[in-house]
Amino acid sequence: MAELKLQHLDKIYDNKVQAVFDFNMDIKDGELIVLVGPSGCGKSTTLRMVAGLEDISAGHLLLDGKDITQTAAKDRDMAMVFQNYALYGHMTVYENMAFSLTLRKEDPNVIHKKVLAAAEILGLTSQLNKKPAQLSGGQRQRVAMGRSIVRNPKVFLFDEPLSNLDAKLRGATRREILLLHKRLKATMLYVTHDQTEALTLADRIVCMSMGRVQQIGTPLELYDSPANLFVAGFIGLPPMNFYNVLFEDGTLKGKGFAVELDGEEKDLLGNWYGKEIVLGIRPEDLEEGGELPVKVTMNENLGMNTLVNGTLGDGNRIVAKLRGWKEFRNGDTAGLKCKRKHFFDKDTTNAIRKEEC
Amino acid sequence: MNDTRITEERLEDKVFLRKDRMRYIKNTASSRLALLAILFNVLFFVSIYKSDVGSYYYTILIGASILYNLVFMLLVFLSSEGVKQYKKSYSLLLAILGIGQIVRIFIIPLNAHSTEITVKKVTSIVMGDAQFTRTVIYLAVSAACCLAGAAINLKKSMTLKAHIASLGGQSK
Repeated sequence: MAELKLQHLDKIYDNKVQAVFDFNMDIKDGELIVLVGPSGCGKSTTLRMVAGLEDISAGHLLLDGKDITQTAAKDRDMAMVFQNYALYGHMTVYENMAFSLTLRKEDPNVIHKKVLAAAEILGLTSQLNKKPAQLSGGQRQRVAMGRSIVRNPKVFLFDEPLSNLDAKLRGATRREILLLHKRLKATMLYVTHDQTEALTLADRIVCMSMGRVQQIGTPLELYDSPANLFVAGFIGLPPMNFYNVLFEDGTLKGKGFAVELDGEEKDLLGNWYGKEIVLGIRPEDLEEGGELPVKVTMNENLGMNTLVNGTLGDGNRIVAKLRGWKEFRNGDTAGLKCKRKHFFDKDTTNAIRKEEC
Repeated sequence: MNDTRITEERLEDKVFLRKDRMRYIKNTASSRLALLAILFNVLFFVSIYKSDVGSYYYTILIGASILYNLVFMLLVFLSSEGVKQYKKSYSLLLAILGIGQIVRIFIIPLNAHSTEITVKKVTSIVMGDAQFTRTVIYLAVSAACCLAGAAINLKKSMTLKAHIASLGGQSK
């Protein structure tokens, strides 16, 4: 049982730079929360505040209802897995995993049982006598996770644990973390700048920018209903296409192009008639055979999909992710159709939603 | 060897766990005893070389003693690494070196203790009672450390071998 409450957390460094602004969140027992955002957005700082490695400038941190804001890191019953593994090179895998328990002077037999159990979970049983230098990056990260598991902490904290791994290993280790979470049913807080990790791992995602929370929601909510331009641009690969458009006569008019709206969309934008808004179109929401004239500048075949880079209307850049293998040449004109559109207030950058209209 | 699965039931058996831990934990007891043997050997020869009376020690014997000290320290250090890995053969080496330390008591300390030398018309014993006692203790402790390390390693390596065999694996 580990419920974590982050209440109005602020982080202000000695040089008066504020890294985190009013972070609020309730994390339920057994939830896997992913903090995602670009470098410098405050996600690692937030994690370090939760871990106790950074002082909390303002706000409260509650673990199972108990205020641990001022509690020392070692007494918080949390385990952290770092990007660089932080393993002791002169110790074997077994010794690395047993280290924290040995420091606590636990019964050697109990330590042995815990290490064997963790090694079994992580598939490291045959590696226990090896030194970290003899292991692959993925195995080293598993050892780092094993070191956390043996402690049986209330909360697991992961600080970009897969960043040092190559793409293939990253995918495999990501799946292992997901399986581990399902098996342990532990509360986990995971920091990454990789949206693929965020979307595949998270029960809920916290998207951050410039030290502020932009949106908290399930992966589908963030992908399907981004709260603002930042989230819309950050979640999704390739990122969403954005255009400044004017809503007039039931259509959205951009520079050199116009997009027809259906009845529901017209209702949604009813209050925005005659105003400029931002139209967002995900590359995967575009398909061939429509009214949008796109002049192709580059064709990238990915096997199952084709990324078509081009210009829409008067030089607006557009990326479309079309199904199947396409053979567009530079200078070809493709007519694309937009299956789904997102609308944003140009001034506030917030998404335009039904309740706001 | 290490991927042998262990049943839940066996993990509750303390004796089993104690033996099983040896698969992953080094034999530090034997290794540290071996290092301690080196330390006492150093105390022994420092104690001798700094207390020469006249030029009693400047003979072929002391040359051989210096060489033996170097070889002893090298071999004991190697043994300390070997016994750390529960290698049975290093128990034998450590035991031989331990016996060698006992034999050494009867070479330099005993001879020097029973020898009188006259320097500038003053006659004195090369090694006085206090120094003799000290050097004998140093060598005896060094020998004891070697022998104890060897015995512990021998017992542990046999226990580990039997344990691994009981798990159906191969010995180290």
